[in-house]
Amino acid sequence: MSPFLAEFVQLLLNGVMAGAILAVPALGLTAMFAVLRFPNFALASHATAGAFAGYVANVSFGLPLIPSLVFAFFFAGLLGLVSDEVVLKPFRAMGAITTAIGSIALTIAIENLIRFVFANELRGYDLPIARDMIVGGVRIGPQQMQNLAISVVIMGLVFAFLTFTRMGKAMRAVADNPMLADIKGINADTVARIVSFGGMGLAGLGGMLIGLDTSIDPLTGFRAMLSVFAAAVVGGLGSLPGAIVGALVVGIGEELCLLVLSPSYRSAVGFLAILLVLVLRPRGILGQRAY
Amino acid sequence: MSVLSVSGLVAGYSAADEILKQVDFDLAAGEIACIIGPNGAGKSTLLKAIAGLIRSSKGSITLNGEPIGGRAPREITRLGLAYVPQEHNVFPSMSIVENLEMGGYVEPGRVASRMDNVMQRFPVLQRKRRQAARTLSGGERQILAMGMALMVEPKVLLLDEPSAGLSPVAAHRLFEDIRAINREGVAIALVEQNASDALDISDRAYILVDGRNHRTGVASQIANDAEIRRVFLGG
Repeated sequence: MSPFLAEFVQLLLNGVMAGAILAVPALGLTAMFAVLRFPNFALASHATAGAFAGYVANVSFGLPLIPSLVFAFFFAGLLGLVSDEVVLKPFRAMGAITTAIGSIALTIAIENLIRFVFANELRGYDLPIARDMIVGGVRIGPQQMQNLAISVVIMGLVFAFLTFTRMGKAMRAVADNPMLADIKGINADTVARIVSFGGMGLAGLGGMLIGLDTSIDPLTGFRAMLSVFAAAVVGGLGSLPGAIVGALVVGIGEELCLLVLSPSYRSAVGFLAILLVLVLRPRGILGQRAY
Repeated sequence: MSVLSVSGLVAGYSAADEILKQVDFDLAAGEIACIIGPNGAGKSTLLKAIAGLIRSSKGSITLNGEPIGGRAPREITRLGLAYVPQEHNVFPSMSIVENLEMGGYVEPGRVASRMDNVMQRFPVLQRKRRQAARTLSGGERQILAMGMALMVEPKVLLLDEPSAGLSPVAAHRLFEDIRAINREGVAIALVEQNASDALDISDRAYILVDGRNHRTGVASQIANDAEIRRVFLGG
């Protein structure tokens, strides 16, 4: 393989892996938007909270990776449930913009709470060191492959929940037509609680998956936020399959831009993706149908 | 005996904008009552107020003697009243089967058997069971919306302009379906722009004008009243 082609394939592969990880919190964000109809910026701090909860489970309690991820999901989910109930729910009657601003305040508060407890230093998970595989000049890390597999399984579980469970279908019904869902007896408050739990749980999982690749600090979620939002907007905010497509587009775009740009311009890809979609196709690649 | 009784109802979207100014309405067990009148008379608002979607500021609504005014729509559904809105009456991205499941959401244990009954009654739903509701024609959507309402085996069915936007043939079939549902003992309140067809299948008729009762009577008599024919039925 020529060096250029090898670099291209390497970046493409890295992009797919980054996109798959990005898809997890993007699914959470878009699911919450589909049901609650406001962009929840508190996703950033919940991703960080999940990353630190997983860190405590993995490093302090010595749990293996999968149980730590489960712990990250439940911790961030419960935090999301409580923070929505206590902080964001009272804002909802005042409209989407007010609630979104409330969610920014919430995320700053949670982020600083995490900083207060864990300080600013970088922390890494306790993972076995494994040698990268090199296939045709392309480097593949076992941890990256594992992260990809975990992300795919999580996406499968989310779609299975929405397709086969009564509550999953009720959630889609509320996203589709909230008034009719109310008439049919679906309790919108219960659905809101479950989507807050599940959406923020996915954010927490995403935060930990991002941290597995590098390290974590109180800004882990905040740094990923632009890419997560770009993924959800590019795919069509409120569309779950769109979140996955958008995450892959943004993930691959961020990596491929390294062919021509320095890494410091990488985050511009997220802004550019949002800009292009809003100008050319404001409803996103797959539109805004939830499912 | 009335299964549904509305007395002195004043309701609207805000206190400054009361659409229903004083409406009385009774629906006896097993009958069809149609509500007709000019645009803006408050026909759809009356159904929405009964279904719990609009708060009333005065008057009472009782279902089988139990007051339901001020209750949430889902509580009213649980008491045996099903409301089919004129528009946005299905979940467009969900399949027909899933729509029917959501129709019977309040009684999950009985969804399977009731879905069989609904599919037998409306074979088109059986044929297209895996299709998303957004792919259905206007008439098929109305049938699905009625099928969803039947998933709770309601005692009272409120239909808001079910024939709106349908071809004459599709509307005729729909009215036949409504009559068939009624013959099984379901009391039906029907709001319709298509007044002559609605009067044909109804036992009783209410004419609303500007948020108040204008005339009430036996549907066949109203249909044959010369003044009513001239003003409301186009001759």
